[in-house]
Amino acid sequence: MKTITHVIQDPMGLHARPAGLLAKAAAACEGCSFSLTFKEQTVDAKRIMGLMKLGAKQGDTLTITCAGENEDAAAASMESFLKDNL
Amino acid sequence: MGIFDKLFHKPQSEHPVITAPVAGTAVALQEVNDPTFSQEILGKGIAIRPTGNQIVAPCDGKVDMMFDTGHAVSLISTNGMEILIHVGLETVQLKGKHYTTHAKTGDTVKQGQPLISFDREAIAAEGYDLITPIVLCNSDRFPILQAHLGAVSSGDPLLTIDA
Repeated sequence: MKTITHVIQDPMGLHARPAGLLAKAAAACEGCSFSLTFKEQTVDAKRIMGLMKLGAKQGDTLTITCAGENEDAAAASMESFLKDNL
Repeated sequence: MGIFDKLFHKPQSEHPVITAPVAGTAVALQEVNDPTFSQEILGKGIAIRPTGNQIVAPCDGKVDMMFDTGHAVSLISTNGMEILIHVGLETVQLKGKHYTTHAKTGDTVKQGQPLISFDREAIAAEGYDLITPIVLCNSDRFPILQAHLGAVSSGDPLLTIDA
């Protein structure tokens, strides 16, 4: 299990577009599960609707736990995805 | 029709159907002037250029999230389809102005039940595009068999799902 954190830079927060892209990035790592925690709510990062429901805003910290096959590589690619898109 | 057809090809009537949440003209999602929708980032779907003023439930299910601003609603159908209805583009910026909600997060709803009313003329007058994408966020699990394009009345079949 590997845990990463990310502070949201996008002024619109975790809105529809980054939520959709994030779910796609998570789904691309088929052997891994990603759970995303924000303010005591934990959702499956592969589910767009769960991500949008969090209402995470700019400056909020997201914690993502990645577990499964090649979890180190999956966590690293998730980390770079978040830097580039959120 | 042979026995194998009967076994493997369900008649059209047995496939789940998502009905039109609002009257208008149904167009391909690619015609929506917002890449989040047109590039299918949220999933596959369809869009309606509304001529009506009310969004109704497109299937039986549960309101997964009613946005406080009333500009969008997501539902989970009884059989697990995750449907997002976004009333107009960039309309989050209206902060609820011109929208009235008739259901709340967690409510169980029946197909055709009112969810949101909106003042189409007022929203258009403020310069917003009212096109309303209807997206199946888990279309990987629920492939769309047929999209019914063209003029639709509220409650008409809109998407036939291969499930």
